Amino acid sequence: MKVWLVAIAATVAVAATQPALAGPVLDRVKQRGVLRVATDPAYPPQSMQKPDGSFEGFDIDVASEIANRLGVRVEFVTPAWEIITSGRWGDRWDISVGSMTPTRERAEVLDFPAIYYYTPAAFAVHESCPYQNLEELDGKVIGTCGACTYEFYLRHDLKIDAEGVPPFTYRVTPGEIRTYETDTNVFDDLRLGCGTRLDAGISALPTIREAIKAGYPMRIVGDPVFYEPLAVAIDKGDPEFAAEIARIVEALREEGTLSKLSLKWYGVDLTRVP
Amino acid sequence: MSRAVPVRARAAGGFSGILRRDAIRRAVAVLLLTGLGASLVSGTGPLAEALLALFGLDQAWVGSWLARLLLALPLAVALVLNSLFLARLPRRLQIGIVWGELLLLFAAFFLSFELDFGFLWARLPILVGIGATTTLYVSSISIAVASLIALVAALGRLSGNPTAFGLATFYTSFFRGTPLLLQVYIIYLGLPQLGLTLAPVPSGVIALSLCYGAYMAEIFRAGIESIPRGQWEAGEALGLTRRLILRKIVLPQAIRVVIPPIGNQFIAMLKDSSLVSILGVWELMFLARTQGRAEFRHFEMLIAAALIYWFLSFVFELAQARIERHFGRSDRR
Repeated sequence: MKVWLVAIAATVAVAATQPALAGPVLDRVKQRGVLRVATDPAYPPQSMQKPDGSFEGFDIDVASEIANRLGVRVEFVTPAWEIITSGRWGDRWDISVGSMTPTRERAEVLDFPAIYYYTPAAFAVHESCPYQNLEELDGKVIGTCGACTYEFYLRHDLKIDAEGVPPFTYRVTPGEIRTYETDTNVFDDLRLGCGTRLDAGISALPTIREAIKAGYPMRIVGDPVFYEPLAVAIDKGDPEFAAEIARIVEALREEGTLSKLSLKWYGVDLTRVP
Repeated sequence: MSRAVPVRARAAGGFSGILRRDAIRRAVAVLLLTGLGASLVSGTGPLAEALLALFGLDQAWVGSWLARLLLALPLAVALVLNSLFLARLPRRLQIGIVWGELLLLFAAFFLSFELDFGFLWARLPILVGIGATTTLYVSSISIAVASLIALVAALGRLSGNPTAFGLATFYTSFFRGTPLLLQVYIIYLGLPQLGLTLAPVPSGVIALSLCYGAYMAEIFRAGIESIPRGQWEAGEALGLTRRLILRKIVLPQAIRVVIPPIGNQFIAMLKDSSLVSILGVWELMFLARTQGRAEFRHFEMLIAAALIYWFLSFVFELAQARIERHFGRSDRR
């Protein structure tokens, strides 16, 4: 019995000292001929799932283009957002093209080789609400996704640690902040009526527009309050892979592919600093 | 209802007395239900407006106590008449009608969401073909593994060996004492730190099996302990080993006792398996959510998923009843 316990303890100790990373990601991708992309399909129009189980959206198109340039097939996996952002992916997937803001905290567990577009953040209210400009939202009950940049903005504590972040000011001071699992839950409470559960919500402008297009009785208030850069993310520990991804995204930007995809999904070019 | 009137009442008041008593009871029931209904309905909407118009009342009454009462009274009368009508039917038919009425109310509730059935219909194949299938196989494997773990843990708790007892009690204590969601995260995100990177489905199956194994260990222990000591003693008197007594005498009798609670656990597992959706497993709940979000039509998908879960549980209830009958043969004469 004792020998057996010692053996288990030794195995665990040896396993624990080994690095969790499987090795250079780029080699793995080329060898398999597949780029495995983590995507959150609950985020239209960036990523959404079709009835046959396949995916479409801006992020999906960009990821497919990147795989194309690497000369490999693309494959999508769908872990929850917290699992993507917690890092240490190991061998589970290779890259996230998921509209991720490269915040300082995230940069501690993930690498952000390339920013591929900038999304405007905006406030929305129920269409029956009287509010016409942002100042009227001070002191109101405002909904947001939890632990995302919009919540940090509402708390006046937004730090985006990336190059080329357009400057912004805090234009709204909420009376109460309600956090949700994701932005789309905010819209579901917002649609119930003006002040029923929420007075206003904050989200990505394209996502709000998408919800309004789908028949949600909402209205956008004021101009976008800040633009956040959104980046491709990879696991730490493979500088060659990072350089290759940076090169590919830069090429996609220069030849206009990114702008074209942005126009296709958003109707405007969000790929340049506003 | 009249059948329930006690014999003494018949003797005291005669037939007219019975009628009077029943009438009073029904009137009280209508009054109580009206009060309850009036406090629940808002007294607005097209039905309230129509009723006010019927009584020649001004539309200014909409939303007032009067409108609430006008709405609640017919409802209360309908409910009482319904129970009167039901009482005249045979038992089986009564049960069937009650089920049917509740289902109709459910359907009316769902239809009030203005569902897009085309949207629902287009996504039913993936919900059933991938979602329900994945849910079913993840929970089936998990319940099988959990049963094995539970049996071992139960024997550990009943064992005289302190190490086995310690292991078994520590295991049940930890896995019953922490949320399943947390266990799923720990296994999926924690094990890679030890160099063991598991795919989502195995991670989910391990978490579900360990968690349910802990609950079911207690069920197994209770089942084994419910077999009287005399059975063990009789086995010993026949010169059987303890292992043989357990296998041939105690466990077969214990199984009969534990089937209803195990069936319960299986149905609970069917729904708790939705927690593995956070790992990106395309089970029923995952697909219901992502498919619904693509076009901001959540209700269609959530209702469809609810009905599929319910149907699966219903099938298991039937299966459980059959298994119970099979193991309960010794009790029938």
